[in-house]
Amino acid sequence: MREKPFRGLRSRLLAIGVAPRTVGRTLLELQDHLDDLQAEAIERGHAPEEALRHARRSIGDIDTIVAAMRERHELRSWHYRFPRVARLALPLAYVALLPVAPLFTGVSYAATIMRWTASLMLAAAVTATMFLLLQLSIVFS
Amino acid sequence: MGQTNPPFMSGVPELLLLQQLAQREMYGYELVRSIRLVTGEAISLGEGVIYPVLHSLERNGALKAKRKAVAGRTRVYYSLTAKGRKRLQRLQSEWQRIQSGITAALESPGHA
Repeated sequence: MREKPFRGLRSRLLAIGVAPRTVGRTLLELQDHLDDLQAEAIERGHAPEEALRHARRSIGDIDTIVAAMRERHELRSWHYRFPRVARLALPLAYVALLPVAPLFTGVSYAATIMRWTASLMLAAAVTATMFLLLQLSIVFS
Repeated sequence: MGQTNPPFMSGVPELLLLQQLAQREMYGYELVRSIRLVTGEAISLGEGVIYPVLHSLERNGALKAKRKAVAGRTRVYYSLTAKGRKRLQRLQSEWQRIQSGITAALESPGHA
Protein backbone atom coordinates (compact mmCIF):
# COMPACT_ATOMS: atom_id res chain seq x y z
CA MET A 1 0.00 0.00 0.00
CA ARG A 2 1.24 3.49 -0.86
CA GLU A 3 2.30 5.53 2.16
CA LYS A 4 0.74 8.89 2.84
CA PRO A 5 3.60 11.14 3.97
CA PHE A 6 1.35 14.21 4.19
CA ARG A 7 -1.39 12.53 6.21
CA GLY A 8 -1.44 15.07 9.04
CA LEU A 9 -0.94 18.09 6.81
CA ARG A 10 -4.53 18.41 5.55
CA SER A 11 -6.04 18.77 9.02
CA ARG A 12 -3.31 21.13 10.19
CA LEU A 13 -3.74 23.44 7.20
CA LEU A 14 -7.52 23.42 7.58
CA ALA A 15 -7.09 24.17 11.29
CA ILE A 16 -5.15 27.37 10.53
CA GLY A 17 -7.87 28.45 8.11
CA VAL A 18 -6.33 27.67 4.72
CA ALA A 19 -9.07 27.42 2.09
CA PRO A 20 -10.01 23.76 1.44
CA ARG A 21 -9.41 24.10 -2.30
CA THR A 22 -5.88 25.42 -1.67
CA VAL A 23 -5.24 22.58 0.80
CA GLY A 24 -6.32 19.98 -1.78
CA ARG A 25 -4.09 21.42 -4.48
CA THR A 26 -1.12 21.81 -2.15
CA LEU A 27 -1.34 18.15 -1.16
CA LEU A 28 -1.60 17.08 -4.79
CA GLU A 29 1.43 19.16 -5.79
CA LEU A 30 3.50 18.04 -2.81
CA GLN A 31 2.77 14.39 -3.55
CA ASP A 32 3.74 14.89 -7.19
CA HIS A 33 6.90 16.69 -6.14
CA LEU A 34 7.78 13.88 -3.74
CA ASP A 35 7.25 11.29 -6.49
CA ASP A 36 9.54 13.25 -8.82
CA LEU A 37 12.24 13.55 -6.16
CA GLN A 38 12.03 9.85 -5.41
CA ALA A 39 12.25 8.96 -9.12
CA GLU A 40 15.28 11.24 -9.46
CA ALA A 41 17.01 9.57 -6.50
CA ILE A 42 16.27 6.11 -7.91
CA GLU A 43 17.81 7.21 -11.22
CA ARG A 44 20.93 8.21 -9.32
CA GLY A 45 21.14 4.64 -8.02
CA HIS A 46 19.40 4.79 -4.63
CA ALA A 47 17.18 1.93 -3.47
CA PRO A 48 13.44 2.90 -3.43
CA GLU A 49 13.25 3.26 0.39
CA GLU A 50 16.44 5.29 0.57
CA ALA A 51 15.16 7.38 -2.36
CA LEU A 52 11.92 8.08 -0.48
CA ARG A 53 13.84 9.15 2.63
CA HIS A 54 15.97 11.44 0.50
CA ALA A 55 12.85 12.89 -1.18
CA ARG A 56 11.23 13.58 2.20
CA ARG A 57 14.32 15.39 3.43
CA SER A 58 14.31 17.59 0.32
CA ILE A 59 10.61 18.44 0.64
CA GLY A 60 11.12 19.46 4.27
CA ASP A 61 9.08 18.72 7.36
CA ILE A 62 5.39 19.36 7.77
CA ASP A 63 5.95 22.03 10.47
CA THR A 64 7.92 24.17 8.01
CA ILE A 65 5.23 23.86 5.34
CA VAL A 66 2.50 24.75 7.85
CA ALA A 67 4.54 27.76 9.05
CA ALA A 68 5.02 28.94 5.44
CA MET A 69 1.28 28.66 4.81
CA ARG A 70 0.44 30.48 8.03
CA GLU A 71 2.46 33.51 6.83
CA ARG A 72 0.30 33.75 3.69
CA HIS A 73 -2.82 35.42 4.97
CA GLU A 74 -4.35 35.60 1.48
CA LEU A 75 -4.49 31.79 1.24
CA ARG A 76 -7.00 31.56 4.09
CA SER A 77 -10.74 31.10 3.66
CA TRP A 78 -12.68 34.35 3.45
CA HIS A 79 -14.28 33.84 6.88
CA TYR A 80 -10.79 33.66 8.44
CA ARG A 81 -9.70 36.77 6.57
CA PHE A 82 -12.84 38.76 7.38
CA PRO A 83 -14.12 37.31 10.68
CA ARG A 84 -16.35 40.33 11.46
CA VAL A 85 -18.12 40.06 8.10
CA ALA A 86 -18.48 36.30 8.61
CA ARG A 87 -19.97 36.76 12.08
CA LEU A 88 -22.62 39.01 10.57
CA ALA A 89 -23.18 37.36 7.20
CA LEU A 90 -23.21 33.69 8.13
CA PRO A 91 -26.15 33.82 10.62
CA LEU A 92 -28.12 35.91 8.09
CA ALA A 93 -27.36 33.40 5.34
CA TYR A 94 -28.49 30.53 7.56
CA VAL A 95 -31.75 32.32 8.40
CA ALA A 96 -32.35 33.00 4.70
CA LEU A 97 -31.76 29.33 3.88
CA LEU A 98 -33.98 28.01 6.68
CA PRO A 99 -37.23 27.88 4.62
CA VAL A 100 -35.56 25.76 1.94
CA ALA A 101 -33.71 23.54 4.41
CA PRO A 102 -36.33 20.72 4.13
CA LEU A 103 -35.81 20.72 0.37
CA PHE A 104 -32.02 20.32 0.77
CA THR A 105 -32.62 17.59 3.35
CA GLY A 106 -35.04 15.87 1.00
CA VAL A 107 -32.49 15.89 -1.81
CA SER A 108 -29.65 14.74 0.46
CA TYR A 109 -31.66 11.89 1.98
CA ALA A 110 -33.80 11.08 -1.07
CA ALA A 111 -33.06 7.34 -0.96
CA THR A 112 -33.92 7.05 2.75
CA ILE A 113 -37.10 9.09 2.35
CA MET A 114 -38.18 6.89 -0.58
CA ARG A 115 -37.58 3.73 1.50
CA TRP A 116 -39.61 5.10 4.42
CA THR A 117 -42.41 6.22 2.09
CA ALA A 118 -42.53 2.79 0.43
CA SER A 119 -42.59 1.09 3.86
CA LEU A 120 -45.44 3.32 5.05
CA MET A 121 -47.45 2.69 1.88
CA LEU A 122 -46.93 -1.05 2.22
CA ALA A 123 -47.99 -0.93 5.87
CA ALA A 124 -51.11 1.11 4.91
CA ALA A 125 -51.98 -1.37 2.15
CA VAL A 126 -51.63 -4.35 4.54
CA THR A 127 -53.81 -2.60 7.18
CA ALA A 128 -56.46 -1.68 4.56
CA THR A 129 -56.53 -5.28 3.29
CA MET A 130 -56.99 -6.58 6.85
CA PHE A 131 -59.83 -4.13 7.45
CA LEU A 132 -61.43 -5.15 4.14
CA LEU A 133 -61.20 -8.85 5.05
CA LEU A 134 -62.68 -8.12 8.48
CA GLN A 135 -65.49 -6.11 6.90
CA LEU A 136 -66.20 -8.89 4.37
CA SER A 137 -66.24 -11.52 7.09
CA ILE A 138 -68.83 -9.45 9.03
CA VAL A 139 -70.96 -8.89 5.93
CA PHE A 140 -71.02 -12.54 4.87
CA SER A 141 -71.28 -14.12 8.31
CA MET B 1 13.84 60.29 2.61
CA GLY B 2 15.55 57.09 1.48
CA GLN B 3 13.52 54.07 0.49
CA THR B 4 13.09 51.47 3.16
CA ASN B 5 14.17 47.92 2.48
CA PRO B 6 11.23 45.56 2.37
CA PRO B 7 11.96 42.19 3.91
CA PHE B 8 14.20 41.45 0.95
CA MET B 9 15.49 38.10 2.11
CA SER B 10 11.95 36.76 2.36
CA GLY B 11 11.35 38.20 -1.12
CA VAL B 12 14.18 36.15 -2.63
CA PRO B 13 12.14 33.01 -3.37
CA GLU B 14 9.46 35.18 -4.95
CA LEU B 15 12.01 37.00 -7.11
CA LEU B 16 13.63 33.74 -8.24
CA LEU B 17 10.30 32.07 -9.00
CA LEU B 18 9.06 35.04 -11.03
CA GLN B 19 12.40 35.28 -12.85
CA GLN B 20 12.27 31.63 -13.86
CA LEU B 21 8.64 31.80 -14.90
CA ALA B 22 9.42 34.82 -17.08
CA GLN B 23 11.32 32.38 -19.34
CA ARG B 24 8.57 29.76 -19.71
CA GLU B 25 5.78 28.04 -17.83
CA MET B 26 6.88 25.39 -15.31
CA TYR B 27 5.56 23.17 -12.53
CA GLY B 28 6.88 23.13 -8.95
CA TYR B 29 9.54 20.44 -9.18
CA GLU B 30 10.80 21.85 -12.48
CA LEU B 31 11.03 25.33 -10.94
CA VAL B 32 13.14 24.15 -8.00
CA ARG B 33 15.50 22.31 -10.35
CA SER B 34 15.75 25.33 -12.61
CA ILE B 35 16.56 27.69 -9.70
CA ARG B 36 19.17 25.31 -8.41
CA LEU B 37 20.75 25.17 -11.86
CA VAL B 38 20.79 28.91 -12.62
CA THR B 39 22.11 29.84 -9.17
CA GLY B 40 24.85 27.23 -9.41
CA GLU B 41 23.27 25.49 -6.40
CA ALA B 42 24.13 28.57 -4.30
CA ILE B 43 20.46 28.94 -3.46
CA SER B 44 18.46 25.88 -2.64
CA LEU B 45 14.87 26.54 -1.67
CA GLY B 46 13.04 24.37 0.84
CA GLU B 47 11.15 22.44 -1.77
CA GLY B 48 7.88 22.09 0.12
CA VAL B 49 7.64 25.78 0.89
CA ILE B 50 7.57 26.99 -2.70
CA TYR B 51 3.89 26.05 -2.97
CA PRO B 52 2.64 28.63 -0.46
CA VAL B 53 4.66 31.24 -2.41
CA LEU B 54 3.30 30.07 -5.78
CA HIS B 55 -0.30 29.96 -4.51
CA SER B 56 0.06 33.37 -2.96
CA LEU B 57 1.42 34.86 -6.20
CA GLU B 58 -1.43 33.26 -8.07
CA ARG B 59 -3.98 34.66 -5.61
CA ASN B 60 -2.46 38.13 -6.12
CA GLY B 61 -2.75 37.80 -9.89
CA ALA B 62 0.98 37.61 -10.60
CA LEU B 63 0.76 34.01 -11.80
CA LYS B 64 -1.72 31.89 -13.67
CA ALA B 65 -2.03 28.16 -12.92
CA LYS B 66 -3.18 25.57 -15.40
CA ARG B 67 -3.54 21.80 -14.99
CA LYS B 68 -2.04 19.70 -17.75
CA ALA B 69 -1.98 15.95 -18.22
CA VAL B 70 1.59 14.86 -18.92
CA ALA B 71 2.58 11.19 -19.22
CA GLY B 72 -0.50 10.04 -17.33
CA ARG B 73 -0.03 12.57 -14.52
CA THR B 74 -1.77 15.85 -13.92
CA ARG B 75 0.67 18.65 -13.29
CA VAL B 76 -0.02 22.23 -12.30
CA TYR B 77 1.89 24.58 -14.58
CA TYR B 78 2.49 28.20 -13.59
CA SER B 79 2.99 31.09 -15.97
CA LEU B 80 3.60 34.79 -15.49
CA THR B 81 0.83 37.34 -16.05
CA ALA B 82 1.27 41.00 -17.03
CA LYS B 83 0.89 41.90 -13.35
CA GLY B 84 3.56 39.34 -12.53
CA ARG B 85 5.98 40.91 -15.02
CA LYS B 86 5.51 44.30 -13.38
CA ARG B 87 6.08 42.75 -9.97
CA LEU B 88 9.23 41.06 -11.25
CA GLN B 89 10.58 44.37 -12.59
CA ARG B 90 9.89 46.03 -9.25
CA LEU B 91 11.58 43.23 -7.29
CA GLN B 92 14.57 43.24 -9.65
CA SER B 93 15.12 46.98 -9.22
CA GLU B 94 14.73 46.67 -5.43
CA TRP B 95 17.24 43.86 -5.38
CA GLN B 96 19.70 45.76 -7.58
CA ARG B 97 19.43 48.78 -5.28
CA ILE B 98 20.18 46.62 -2.23
CA GLN B 99 23.02 44.85 -4.05
CA SER B 100 24.60 48.19 -5.05
CA GLY B 101 24.33 49.42 -1.47
CA ILE B 102 25.99 46.34 -0.06
CA THR B 103 28.71 46.37 -2.74
CA ALA B 104 29.42 50.05 -2.00
CA ALA B 105 29.64 49.31 1.70
CA LEU B 106 32.01 46.42 1.18
CA GLU B 107 34.24 48.43 -1.14
CA SER B 108 34.35 51.56 1.02
CA PRO B 109 37.83 52.46 2.38
CA GLY B 110 36.63 52.12 5.95
CA HIS B 111 35.76 48.47 5.38
CA ALA B 112 38.17 46.28 7.28
